[in-house]
Amino acid sequence: MNSIKSVFLVAERDLYRFWQSKQWLAGQIAMNLADVFIFALIFGGIVRKDLVPDYFKYVTPGIASLATFVAAFSIGREVGMEVRRDIVDYLLVLPMSRLALVIGRLLGGMLRGLLYQLTFLVLASIILSSPKLEQLPILFMTSILLTSSMSSLAIAVSSISRDFNIQATFRAITYYLLFFFSNVYYPRQVLMLRFPQPIPQIVSVSPISLAADIYRWCFNYYTYIDYTDLAMLALWSSALIVLGLATYLRNLTKR
Amino acid sequence: MRKAIEIVNLVKRFGDTIAVDNLSLDIYEGEIFGFLGPNGSGKTTTLLTIATVYKPTSGDVRVYGYSVVNYGDKVRKLIGIAFQDPKALGIDKPYDLLLWHARVVGYSFNDAKKVVKGVMESLGLWEYRNKYFYQLSGGTRKKVEIAKILIQRPKVAIFDEPTAQVDVTSKHAMWDAIRELRNSGSTIILATNDMFEAERMCERIAIIYRGRLRALGAVKELKDLVPYGDIVEVSIAKQEDAERAVKILSGFGKVGANGLQFMVYLNRGEEKAIEIIDALEKVGIRVTRIMVKEPTLDDVFFYITKAKLKE
Repeated sequence: MNSIKSVFLVAERDLYRFWQSKQWLAGQIAMNLADVFIFALIFGGIVRKDLVPDYFKYVTPGIASLATFVAAFSIGREVGMEVRRDIVDYLLVLPMSRLALVIGRLLGGMLRGLLYQLTFLVLASIILSSPKLEQLPILFMTSILLTSSMSSLAIAVSSISRDFNIQATFRAITYYLLFFFSNVYYPRQVLMLRFPQPIPQIVSVSPISLAADIYRWCFNYYTYIDYTDLAMLALWSSALIVLGLATYLRNLTKR
Repeated sequence: MRKAIEIVNLVKRFGDTIAVDNLSLDIYEGEIFGFLGPNGSGKTTTLLTIATVYKPTSGDVRVYGYSVVNYGDKVRKLIGIAFQDPKALGIDKPYDLLLWHARVVGYSFNDAKKVVKGVMESLGLWEYRNKYFYQLSGGTRKKVEIAKILIQRPKVAIFDEPTAQVDVTSKHAMWDAIRELRNSGSTIILATNDMFEAERMCERIAIIYRGRLRALGAVKELKDLVPYGDIVEVSIAKQEDAERAVKILSGFGKVGANGLQFMVYLNRGEEKAIEIIDALEKVGIRVTRIMVKEPTLDDVFFYITKAKLKE
Protein backbone atom coordinates (compact mmCIF):
# COMPACT_ATOMS: atom_id res chain seq x y z
CA MET A 1 0.00 0.00 0.00
CA ASN A 2 1.43 3.34 -0.91
CA SER A 3 2.05 6.02 1.66
CA ILE A 4 -0.55 8.48 0.34
CA LYS A 5 -3.26 5.85 0.64
CA SER A 6 -2.09 5.03 4.18
CA VAL A 7 -2.26 8.69 5.17
CA PHE A 8 -5.82 9.00 3.89
CA LEU A 9 -6.93 5.77 5.56
CA VAL A 10 -5.57 6.92 8.92
CA ALA A 11 -7.29 10.29 8.48
CA GLU A 12 -10.50 8.57 7.43
CA ARG A 13 -10.43 6.48 10.62
CA ASP A 14 -10.09 9.59 12.75
CA LEU A 15 -12.83 11.36 10.88
CA TYR A 16 -15.13 8.37 11.21
CA ARG A 17 -14.53 8.22 14.95
CA PHE A 18 -15.30 11.93 15.13
CA TRP A 19 -18.62 11.17 13.51
CA GLN A 20 -19.19 8.31 15.97
CA SER A 21 -19.01 10.90 18.76
CA LYS A 22 -21.98 12.85 17.41
CA GLN A 23 -23.43 13.53 20.85
CA TRP A 24 -20.15 14.89 22.13
CA LEU A 25 -19.86 16.95 18.97
CA ALA A 26 -23.33 18.41 19.40
CA GLY A 27 -22.56 19.25 23.03
CA GLN A 28 -19.33 21.00 22.13
CA ILE A 29 -20.96 23.01 19.36
CA ALA A 30 -23.77 24.00 21.71
CA MET A 31 -21.20 25.13 24.28
CA ASN A 32 -19.30 27.21 21.76
CA LEU A 33 -22.53 28.73 20.47
CA ALA A 34 -23.50 29.55 24.04
CA ASP A 35 -20.11 31.28 24.37
CA VAL A 36 -20.98 33.51 21.43
CA PHE A 37 -24.29 34.58 22.88
CA ILE A 38 -23.36 34.82 26.56
CA PHE A 39 -20.12 36.71 25.96
CA ALA A 40 -21.80 38.95 23.44
CA LEU A 41 -24.57 39.79 25.89
CA ILE A 42 -22.34 40.36 28.91
CA PHE A 43 -19.23 41.92 27.38
CA GLY A 44 -21.27 43.86 24.85
CA GLY A 45 -22.40 46.11 27.69
CA ILE A 46 -18.98 46.38 29.31
CA VAL A 47 -16.47 46.87 26.50
CA ARG A 48 -16.09 50.49 25.33
CA LYS A 49 -18.30 51.19 22.34
CA ASP A 50 -15.68 53.47 20.76
CA LEU A 51 -13.30 50.50 20.62
CA VAL A 52 -15.82 47.74 19.82
CA PRO A 53 -19.00 49.23 18.36
CA ASP A 54 -20.75 45.87 17.83
CA TYR A 55 -19.39 43.27 20.22
CA PHE A 56 -21.57 40.49 18.81
CA LYS A 57 -19.95 40.95 15.42
CA TYR A 58 -16.51 41.25 16.96
CA VAL A 59 -16.65 38.05 19.01
CA THR A 60 -18.23 35.73 16.43
CA PRO A 61 -15.17 35.27 14.13
CA GLY A 62 -13.05 34.89 17.26
CA ILE A 63 -15.26 32.05 18.50
CA ALA A 64 -14.96 30.43 15.06
CA SER A 65 -11.21 30.55 15.54
CA LEU A 66 -11.45 29.21 19.07
CA ALA A 67 -13.85 26.45 18.02
CA THR A 68 -11.23 25.13 15.64
CA PHE A 69 -8.87 24.23 18.36
CA VAL A 70 -11.61 22.73 20.50
CA ALA A 71 -12.28 20.29 17.65
CA ALA A 72 -8.64 19.76 16.81
CA PHE A 73 -8.03 18.96 20.45
CA SER A 74 -10.53 16.12 20.28
CA ILE A 75 -7.92 14.21 18.29
CA GLY A 76 -5.58 14.80 21.21
CA ARG A 77 -8.10 13.26 23.57
CA GLU A 78 -8.15 10.08 21.48
CA VAL A 79 -4.41 9.98 20.95
CA GLY A 80 -4.00 10.27 24.72
CA MET A 81 -6.44 7.43 25.28
CA GLU A 82 -4.67 5.25 22.72
CA VAL A 83 -1.31 5.88 24.35
CA ARG A 84 -2.65 5.13 27.84
CA ARG A 85 -4.37 1.90 26.82
CA ASP A 86 -1.60 0.73 24.44
CA ILE A 87 -4.04 0.84 21.53
CA VAL A 88 -1.32 2.74 19.74
CA ASP A 89 0.57 -0.57 19.48
CA TYR A 90 -1.99 -1.66 16.92
CA LEU A 91 -1.31 1.37 14.76
CA LEU A 92 2.42 0.77 15.09
CA VAL A 93 2.27 -2.73 13.58
CA LEU A 94 0.20 -1.77 10.54
CA PRO A 95 1.94 -2.08 7.19
CA MET A 96 2.72 1.60 6.79
CA SER A 97 5.57 3.93 7.60
CA ARG A 98 5.60 5.80 10.89
CA LEU A 99 5.60 9.07 8.97
CA ALA A 100 2.46 8.10 7.05
CA LEU A 101 0.80 7.23 10.35
CA VAL A 102 1.74 10.51 11.98
CA ILE A 103 0.76 12.63 8.97
CA GLY A 104 -2.51 10.72 8.76
CA ARG A 105 -3.31 11.57 12.38
CA LEU A 106 -2.51 15.20 11.77
CA LEU A 107 -4.68 15.26 8.66
CA GLY A 108 -7.48 13.60 10.61
CA GLY A 109 -7.26 16.26 13.30
CA MET A 110 -7.21 18.98 10.69
CA LEU A 111 -10.30 17.63 8.93
CA ARG A 112 -12.11 17.35 12.26
CA GLY A 113 -11.32 20.98 12.94
CA LEU A 114 -12.54 22.07 9.51
CA LEU A 115 -15.77 20.15 9.83
CA TYR A 116 -16.46 21.42 13.30
CA GLN A 117 -15.66 24.96 12.32
CA LEU A 118 -18.15 24.93 9.46
CA THR A 119 -21.06 25.66 11.83
CA PHE A 120 -19.31 28.71 13.18
CA LEU A 121 -18.27 29.98 9.77
CA VAL A 122 -21.87 29.75 8.62
CA LEU A 123 -22.94 31.56 11.79
CA ALA A 124 -20.35 34.27 11.13
CA SER A 125 -21.67 34.62 7.58
CA ILE A 126 -25.15 35.17 8.97
CA ILE A 127 -24.20 37.52 11.83
CA LEU A 128 -21.63 39.51 9.87
CA SER A 129 -21.69 39.10 6.10
CA SER A 130 -20.68 36.40 3.65
CA PRO A 131 -17.10 36.48 2.42
CA LYS A 132 -16.53 37.81 -1.07
CA LEU A 133 -15.14 35.44 -3.67
CA GLU A 134 -11.61 36.85 -3.33
CA GLN A 135 -11.78 36.37 0.46
CA LEU A 136 -12.67 32.68 0.25
CA PRO A 137 -9.17 31.36 -0.54
CA ILE A 138 -7.77 33.34 2.42
CA LEU A 139 -10.56 32.02 4.66
CA PHE A 140 -9.87 28.47 3.53
CA MET A 141 -6.11 28.84 3.90
CA THR A 142 -6.48 30.33 7.39
CA SER A 143 -8.68 27.44 8.49
CA ILE A 144 -6.24 24.90 7.08
CA LEU A 145 -3.28 26.53 8.81
CA LEU A 146 -5.09 26.92 12.12
CA THR A 147 -6.60 23.44 12.25
CA SER A 148 -3.38 21.71 11.18
CA SER A 149 -1.31 23.58 13.75
CA MET A 150 -3.84 22.98 16.51
CA SER A 151 -4.19 19.27 15.77
CA SER A 152 -0.37 18.91 15.69
CA LEU A 153 -0.12 20.63 19.03
CA ALA A 154 -2.89 18.52 20.52
CA ILE A 155 -1.33 15.26 19.28
CA ALA A 156 2.09 16.23 20.61
CA VAL A 157 0.76 17.26 24.02
CA SER A 158 -1.35 14.11 24.38
CA SER A 159 1.47 11.71 23.57
CA ILE A 160 3.92 13.27 26.03
CA SER A 161 3.11 10.78 28.77
CA ARG A 162 1.14 7.61 29.43
CA ASP A 163 -0.09 9.13 32.67
CA PHE A 164 -3.59 10.56 32.35
CA ASN A 165 -2.90 13.26 34.95
CA ILE A 166 0.14 14.51 33.08
CA GLN A 167 -1.69 14.36 29.75
CA ALA A 168 -4.67 16.26 31.16
CA THR A 169 -2.46 18.87 32.83
CA PHE A 170 -0.51 19.55 29.65
CA ARG A 171 -3.72 19.75 27.65
CA ALA A 172 -5.26 22.15 30.14
CA ILE A 173 -2.17 24.38 30.18
CA THR A 174 -2.05 24.52 26.38
CA TYR A 175 -5.77 25.19 26.20
CA TYR A 176 -5.52 27.89 28.83
CA LEU A 177 -2.56 29.62 27.15
CA LEU A 178 -4.25 29.64 23.76
CA PHE A 179 -7.57 30.69 25.22
CA PHE A 180 -6.24 33.39 27.49
CA PHE A 181 -3.57 34.84 25.22
CA SER A 182 -5.91 35.66 22.39
CA ASN A 183 -7.91 38.59 21.10
CA VAL A 184 -11.06 36.51 20.76
CA TYR A 185 -12.88 38.47 23.45
CA TYR A 186 -11.03 41.80 23.44
CA PRO A 187 -9.28 43.73 20.68
CA ARG A 188 -5.67 44.69 21.14
CA GLN A 189 -6.59 48.30 22.04
CA VAL A 190 -8.60 47.09 25.05
CA LEU A 191 -5.79 44.82 26.17
CA MET A 192 -3.32 47.70 25.86
CA LEU A 193 -5.43 49.71 28.30
CA ARG A 194 -5.44 46.89 30.84
CA PHE A 195 -2.12 45.06 30.51
CA PRO A 196 1.47 46.24 30.26
CA GLN A 197 3.53 45.45 27.20
CA PRO A 198 4.56 42.95 25.97
CA ILE A 199 1.35 41.07 26.92
CA PRO A 200 -0.90 42.79 24.32
CA GLN A 201 1.84 42.35 21.73
CA ILE A 202 2.20 38.65 22.53
CA VAL A 203 -1.56 38.20 22.48
CA SER A 204 -1.85 39.76 19.05
CA VAL A 205 0.62 37.31 17.49
CA SER A 206 -0.78 34.11 18.97
CA PRO A 207 -2.16 31.76 16.29
CA ILE A 208 -5.74 32.08 17.57
CA SER A 209 -5.54 35.89 17.49
CA LEU A 210 -3.98 35.96 14.04
CA ALA A 211 -6.66 33.65 12.67
CA ALA A 212 -9.42 35.59 14.43
CA ASP A 213 -8.25 38.86 12.85
CA ILE A 214 -8.07 37.26 9.40
CA TYR A 215 -11.59 35.86 9.86
CA ARG A 216 -12.78 39.33 10.89
CA TRP A 217 -11.53 40.59 7.57
CA CYS A 218 -13.02 37.61 5.68
CA PHE A 219 -16.41 38.36 7.21
CA ASN A 220 -16.01 42.08 6.56
CA TYR A 221 -15.73 43.24 10.17
CA TYR A 222 -12.34 44.70 9.32
CA THR A 223 -11.97 46.52 6.07
CA TYR A 224 -8.33 45.64 5.53
CA ILE A 225 -6.15 42.60 5.98
CA ASP A 226 -2.60 42.67 7.20
CA TYR A 227 -0.95 39.97 5.13
CA THR A 228 1.83 39.68 7.67
CA ASP A 229 -0.85 38.08 9.91
CA LEU A 230 -1.27 35.35 7.34
CA ALA A 231 2.49 34.96 6.98
CA MET A 232 2.88 34.70 10.76
CA LEU A 233 0.08 32.20 10.99
CA ALA A 234 1.82 30.13 8.29
CA LEU A 235 5.00 30.37 10.33
CA TRP A 236 3.22 29.27 13.51
CA SER A 237 1.58 26.47 11.61
CA SER A 238 4.86 25.21 10.13
CA ALA A 239 6.57 25.33 13.50
CA LEU A 240 3.73 23.58 15.32
CA ILE A 241 3.36 20.93 12.61
CA VAL A 242 7.07 20.13 12.74
CA LEU A 243 6.99 20.14 16.55
CA GLY A 244 3.84 18.03 16.65
CA LEU A 245 5.06 15.48 14.11
CA ALA A 246 8.48 15.20 15.71
CA THR A 247 7.09 14.85 19.25
CA TYR A 248 4.44 12.29 18.29
CA LEU A 249 6.93 10.33 16.21
CA ARG A 250 9.47 10.37 19.01
CA ASN A 251 6.94 9.36 21.63
CA LEU A 252 5.65 6.53 19.46
CA THR A 253 9.07 5.11 18.72
CA LYS A 254 11.01 5.76 21.91
CA ARG A 255 10.05 2.44 23.54
CA MET B 1 14.46 -24.89 5.85
CA ARG B 2 14.24 -21.16 5.32
CA LYS B 3 14.42 -18.95 8.37
CA ALA B 4 11.40 -16.69 8.78
CA ILE B 5 12.62 -15.07 12.00
CA GLU B 6 16.10 -14.81 13.45
CA ILE B 7 16.39 -13.50 16.97
CA VAL B 8 20.00 -12.65 17.66
CA ASN B 9 21.20 -11.85 21.19
CA LEU B 10 18.07 -9.84 21.85
CA VAL B 11 18.07 -7.75 25.00
CA LYS B 12 15.20 -5.47 25.98
CA ARG B 13 15.33 -3.39 29.11
CA PHE B 14 12.72 -1.08 30.58
CA GLY B 15 14.68 1.07 33.00
CA ASP B 16 16.30 -1.34 35.45
CA THR B 17 14.08 -4.25 34.44
CA ILE B 18 15.44 -6.73 31.94
CA ALA B 19 12.39 -8.02 30.10
CA VAL B 20 14.31 -10.09 27.54
CA ASP B 21 17.79 -11.28 28.37
CA ASN B 22 20.08 -12.25 25.51
CA LEU B 23 17.56 -14.31 23.59
CA SER B 24 18.69 -16.08 20.43
CA LEU B 25 16.63 -18.48 18.32
CA ASP B 26 15.40 -19.10 14.81
CA ILE B 27 11.86 -19.69 13.63
CA TYR B 28 11.44 -21.52 10.34
CA GLU B 29 9.08 -20.77 7.52
CA GLY B 30 5.80 -22.64 7.75
CA GLU B 31 6.10 -23.87 11.33
CA ILE B 32 3.86 -23.21 14.30
CA PHE B 33 6.29 -21.99 16.90
CA GLY B 34 5.33 -21.48 20.51
CA PHE B 35 6.63 -19.17 23.18
CA LEU B 36 5.72 -20.73 26.47
CA GLY B 37 6.14 -19.03 29.78
CA PRO B 38 4.30 -17.58 32.74
CA ASN B 39 3.02 -14.00 32.89
CA GLY B 40 5.87 -11.52 32.86
CA SER B 41 8.35 -13.97 31.39
CA GLY B 42 9.16 -11.78 28.37
CA LYS B 43 6.95 -13.44 25.73
CA THR B 44 4.93 -10.36 24.83
CA THR B 45 8.00 -8.12 24.87
CA THR B 46 9.69 -10.47 22.42
CA LEU B 47 6.63 -10.51 20.17
CA LEU B 48 6.29 -6.74 20.25
CA THR B 49 9.94 -6.41 19.34
CA ILE B 50 9.44 -8.74 16.37
CA ALA B 51 6.43 -6.61 15.42
CA THR B 52 8.54 -3.38 15.56
CA VAL B 53 6.61 -1.83 18.45
CA TYR B 54 9.65 -2.02 20.75
CA LYS B 55 13.20 -1.28 19.78
CA PRO B 56 15.79 -3.80 20.97
CA THR B 57 18.10 -2.42 23.66
CA SER B 58 20.76 -4.53 21.99
CA GLY B 59 20.84 -7.41 19.56
CA ASP B 60 18.46 -7.67 16.65
CA VAL B 61 15.51 -9.50 15.18
CA ARG B 62 15.39 -10.23 11.46
CA VAL B 63 12.18 -11.06 9.66
CA TYR B 64 12.93 -12.73 6.35
CA GLY B 65 16.33 -11.07 6.57
CA TYR B 66 15.02 -7.58 7.34
CA SER B 67 16.23 -6.12 10.59
CA VAL B 68 13.49 -4.67 12.79
CA VAL B 69 15.92 -1.90 13.70
CA ASN B 70 16.72 -0.74 10.18
CA TYR B 71 13.87 -1.99 8.01
CA GLY B 72 10.78 -1.62 10.18
CA ASP B 73 8.60 -0.59 7.23
CA LYS B 74 9.51 -3.76 5.33
CA VAL B 75 9.03 -5.95 8.40
CA ARG B 76 5.54 -4.56 8.98
CA LYS B 77 4.54 -5.64 5.49
CA LEU B 78 5.38 -9.23 6.41
CA ILE B 79 3.87 -9.55 9.86
CA GLY B 80 0.52 -9.33 11.56
CA ILE B 81 -0.16 -9.59 15.25
CA ALA B 82 -3.22 -10.47 17.29
CA PHE B 83 -2.58 -8.77 20.60
CA GLN B 84 -3.12 -10.24 24.02
CA ASP B 85 -5.43 -7.33 24.90
CA PRO B 86 -7.71 -6.41 22.02
CA LYS B 87 -6.83 -2.97 20.73
CA ALA B 88 -9.92 -0.85 20.22
CA LEU B 89 -11.74 2.05 21.78
CA GLY B 90 -15.15 1.47 23.36
CA ILE B 91 -16.89 3.39 20.58
CA ASP B 92 -15.45 1.15 17.85
CA LYS B 93 -17.67 -1.43 16.18
CA PRO B 94 -16.23 -4.80 15.08
CA TYR B 95 -17.34 -4.54 11.45
CA ASP B 96 -16.01 -1.01 10.97
CA LEU B 97 -12.79 -1.91 12.71
CA LEU B 98 -12.19 -5.00 10.58
CA LEU B 99 -13.25 -3.33 7.35
CA TRP B 100 -10.75 -0.56 7.95
CA HIS B 101 -8.08 -3.10 8.87
CA ALA B 102 -8.75 -5.04 5.67
CA ARG B 103 -8.32 -1.90 3.57
CA VAL B 104 -5.12 -0.94 5.39
CA VAL B 105 -3.61 -4.36 4.72
CA GLY B 106 -4.32 -3.99 1.02
CA TYR B 107 -7.82 -5.13 0.08
CA SER B 108 -9.97 -3.01 -2.21
CA PHE B 109 -13.18 -1.74 -0.60
CA ASN B 110 -15.37 -4.39 -2.24
CA ASP B 111 -12.96 -7.25 -1.54
CA ALA B 112 -12.59 -6.02 2.02
CA LYS B 113 -16.34 -6.23 2.57
CA LYS B 114 -16.41 -9.83 1.30
CA VAL B 115 -13.41 -11.08 3.26
CA VAL B 116 -14.52 -9.37 6.48
CA LYS B 117 -17.98 -10.92 6.24
CA GLY B 118 -16.47 -14.35 5.59
CA VAL B 119 -14.06 -14.22 8.50
CA MET B 120 -16.64 -12.76 10.89
CA GLU B 121 -19.09 -15.52 10.02
CA SER B 122 -16.44 -18.21 10.45
CA LEU B 123 -15.67 -16.95 13.96
CA GLY B 124 -19.30 -16.40 14.90
CA LEU B 125 -18.85 -12.65 15.03
CA TRP B 126 -21.33 -11.55 12.40
CA GLU B 127 -24.17 -11.00 14.85
CA TYR B 128 -21.96 -8.63 16.87
CA ARG B 129 -20.81 -6.61 13.88
CA ASN B 130 -22.62 -3.41 14.83
CA LYS B 131 -22.25 -3.59 18.59
CA TYR B 132 -19.96 -1.16 20.33
CA PHE B 133 -16.73 -2.67 21.54
CA TYR B 134 -17.58 -1.86 25.16
CA GLN B 135 -20.72 -4.02 24.79
CA LEU B 136 -18.75 -7.14 23.80
CA SER B 137 -17.61 -9.91 26.13
CA GLY B 138 -13.89 -10.55 26.64
CA GLY B 139 -14.02 -13.63 24.43
CA THR B 140 -15.78 -11.81 21.59
CA ARG B 141 -13.26 -8.99 21.74
CA LYS B 142 -10.53 -11.58 21.49
CA LYS B 143 -12.17 -13.05 18.40
CA VAL B 144 -12.17 -9.63 16.76
CA GLU B 145 -8.44 -9.44 17.40
CA ILE B 146 -7.92 -12.88 15.85
CA ALA B 147 -10.14 -11.91 12.90
CA LYS B 148 -7.69 -9.14 11.99
CA ILE B 149 -5.00 -11.70 11.31
CA LEU B 150 -7.28 -14.10 9.49
CA ILE B 151 -8.23 -11.23 7.21
CA GLN B 152 -4.67 -10.05 6.77
CA ARG B 153 -3.10 -13.49 6.21
CA PRO B 154 0.45 -12.21 6.73
CA LYS B 155 3.59 -14.19 5.98
CA VAL B 156 4.32 -14.21 9.71
CA ALA B 157 1.24 -14.33 11.93
CA ILE B 158 1.77 -13.65 15.62
CA PHE B 159 -0.83 -14.65 18.20
CA ASP B 160 -0.35 -13.49 21.77
CA GLU B 161 -2.42 -15.72 24.05
CA PRO B 162 -5.12 -16.10 21.43
CA THR B 163 -7.53 -18.25 23.39
CA ALA B 164 -7.36 -16.64 26.81
CA GLN B 165 -10.93 -15.87 28.00
CA VAL B 166 -12.37 -17.85 25.10
CA ASP B 167 -14.93 -20.65 25.55
CA VAL B 168 -14.08 -24.24 24.59
CA THR B 169 -16.00 -24.33 21.30
CA SER B 170 -14.52 -21.05 20.14
CA LYS B 171 -11.09 -22.16 21.28
CA HIS B 172 -11.22 -25.14 18.92
CA ALA B 173 -12.52 -22.96 16.10
CA MET B 174 -9.60 -20.59 16.62
CA TRP B 175 -7.07 -23.41 16.68
CA ASP B 176 -8.51 -24.74 13.44
CA ALA B 177 -8.34 -21.27 11.91
CA ILE B 178 -4.71 -20.86 12.99
CA ARG B 179 -3.79 -24.24 11.54
CA GLU B 180 -5.57 -23.40 8.32
CA LEU B 181 -3.60 -20.16 8.17
CA ARG B 182 -0.38 -22.10 8.50
CA ASN B 183 -1.48 -24.57 5.85
CA SER B 184 -2.04 -21.69 3.48
CA GLY B 185 1.58 -20.61 3.88
CA SER B 186 1.91 -18.41 6.96
CA THR B 187 4.49 -18.96 9.65
CA ILE B 188 2.77 -18.92 13.03
CA ILE B 189 4.19 -17.64 16.29
CA LEU B 190 2.01 -18.38 19.24
CA ALA B 191 2.66 -17.12 22.75
CA THR B 192 0.80 -18.87 25.49
CA ASN B 193 0.92 -19.86 29.11
CA ASP B 194 -1.56 -22.64 28.42
CA MET B 195 0.46 -25.86 28.29
CA PHE B 196 -2.34 -27.78 26.63
CA GLU B 197 -2.60 -25.22 23.86
CA ALA B 198 1.16 -25.23 23.35
CA GLU B 199 1.29 -29.02 23.18
CA ARG B 200 -1.68 -29.27 20.87
CA MET B 201 -0.68 -26.49 18.48
CA CYS B 202 3.07 -26.03 18.39
CA GLU B 203 5.67 -28.02 16.51
CA ARG B 204 8.52 -26.38 18.38
CA ILE B 205 8.43 -24.52 21.63
CA ALA B 206 10.70 -22.05 23.38
CA ILE B 207 10.27 -22.01 27.12
CA ILE B 208 10.99 -18.53 28.41
CA TYR B 209 11.32 -17.70 32.04
CA ARG B 210 12.34 -14.37 33.52
CA GLY B 211 13.36 -13.11 30.10
CA ARG B 212 15.70 -15.97 29.34
CA LEU B 213 15.41 -18.92 27.04
CA ARG B 214 15.32 -22.04 29.21
CA ALA B 215 14.60 -24.71 26.64
CA LEU B 216 13.92 -25.00 22.94
CA GLY B 217 12.77 -27.91 20.85
CA ALA B 218 9.94 -30.08 19.63
CA VAL B 219 7.42 -31.10 22.29
CA LYS B 220 8.86 -34.62 22.38
CA GLU B 221 12.40 -33.32 22.80
CA LEU B 222 11.31 -31.09 25.66
CA LYS B 223 9.57 -33.96 27.39
CA ASP B 224 12.73 -36.01 27.17
CA LEU B 225 14.48 -33.33 29.18
CA VAL B 226 12.65 -34.52 32.28
CA PRO B 227 14.74 -37.36 33.81
CA TYR B 228 12.65 -40.50 34.10
CA GLY B 229 9.76 -38.41 32.78
CA ASP B 230 7.98 -41.19 30.88
CA ILE B 231 6.07 -43.90 32.68
CA VAL B 232 5.65 -47.33 31.09
CA GLU B 233 2.90 -49.25 32.87
CA VAL B 234 3.26 -53.00 32.42
CA SER B 235 0.78 -55.63 33.58
CA ILE B 236 1.71 -59.33 33.65
CA ALA B 237 -0.47 -62.46 33.83
CA LYS B 238 1.02 -64.50 36.71
CA GLN B 239 1.99 -63.61 40.27
CA GLU B 240 4.92 -66.10 40.26
CA ASP B 241 6.60 -64.08 37.46
CA ALA B 242 6.56 -60.85 39.48
CA GLU B 243 10.02 -61.17 41.00
CA ARG B 244 11.68 -61.93 37.68
CA ALA B 245 9.73 -59.14 36.01
CA VAL B 246 11.00 -56.55 38.52
CA LYS B 247 14.55 -57.72 37.91
CA ILE B 248 14.20 -57.32 34.13
CA LEU B 249 12.33 -54.02 34.31
CA SER B 250 14.99 -52.57 36.64
CA GLY B 251 17.33 -52.74 33.68
CA PHE B 252 15.24 -50.07 31.93
CA GLY B 253 14.64 -47.61 34.74
CA LYS B 254 13.28 -47.10 38.23
CA VAL B 255 10.47 -49.55 38.99
CA GLY B 256 7.41 -49.33 41.19
CA ALA B 257 5.03 -52.25 41.74
CA ASN B 258 1.33 -52.61 42.51
CA GLY B 259 0.31 -56.28 42.43
CA LEU B 260 0.71 -57.48 38.85
CA GLN B 261 1.13 -53.96 37.58
CA PHE B 262 4.57 -52.32 37.36
CA MET B 263 5.53 -48.74 36.65
CA VAL B 264 8.86 -48.13 34.94
CA TYR B 265 10.15 -44.55 35.09
CA LEU B 266 12.43 -43.80 32.14
CA ASN B 267 12.99 -41.62 29.10
CA ARG B 268 11.87 -42.24 25.51
CA GLY B 269 9.14 -44.53 26.77
CA GLU B 270 7.58 -45.30 23.38
CA GLU B 271 10.81 -46.81 22.04
CA LYS B 272 11.55 -48.65 25.26
CA ALA B 273 8.08 -50.18 25.55
CA ILE B 274 8.76 -52.55 22.66
CA GLU B 275 12.10 -53.57 24.14
CA ILE B 276 10.39 -54.21 27.47
CA ILE B 277 7.81 -56.54 25.89
CA ASP B 278 10.57 -58.39 24.03
CA ALA B 279 12.68 -58.79 27.17
CA LEU B 280 9.78 -60.12 29.27
CA GLU B 281 8.39 -62.49 26.70
CA LYS B 282 11.86 -63.82 25.93
CA VAL B 283 11.94 -65.30 29.45
CA GLY B 284 8.34 -66.53 29.24
CA ILE B 285 6.60 -63.74 31.13
CA ARG B 286 3.29 -62.97 29.46
CA VAL B 287 2.44 -59.24 29.22
CA THR B 288 -1.29 -58.61 29.43
CA ARG B 289 -1.20 -54.83 29.07
CA ILE B 290 1.35 -52.11 28.43
CA MET B 291 0.83 -48.36 28.35
CA VAL B 292 3.17 -45.39 27.95
CA LYS B 293 2.49 -42.17 29.76
CA GLU B 294 4.47 -39.10 28.76
CA PRO B 295 5.15 -36.17 31.05
CA THR B 296 2.99 -33.16 30.32
CA LEU B 297 4.42 -29.80 29.34
CA ASP B 298 3.47 -28.74 32.85
CA ASP B 299 6.01 -31.28 34.11
CA VAL B 300 8.59 -30.04 31.62
CA PHE B 301 8.00 -26.41 32.51
CA PHE B 302 8.10 -27.09 36.22
CA TYR B 303 11.23 -29.18 35.91
CA ILE B 304 13.07 -26.65 33.75
CA THR B 305 12.20 -23.52 35.65
CA LYS B 306 12.73 -25.14 39.03
CA ALA B 307 16.09 -26.44 37.95
CA LYS B 308 17.18 -23.04 36.78
CA LEU B 309 15.88 -21.35 39.90
CA LYS B 310 18.13 -23.57 42.01
CA GLU B 311 21.21 -22.50 40.06
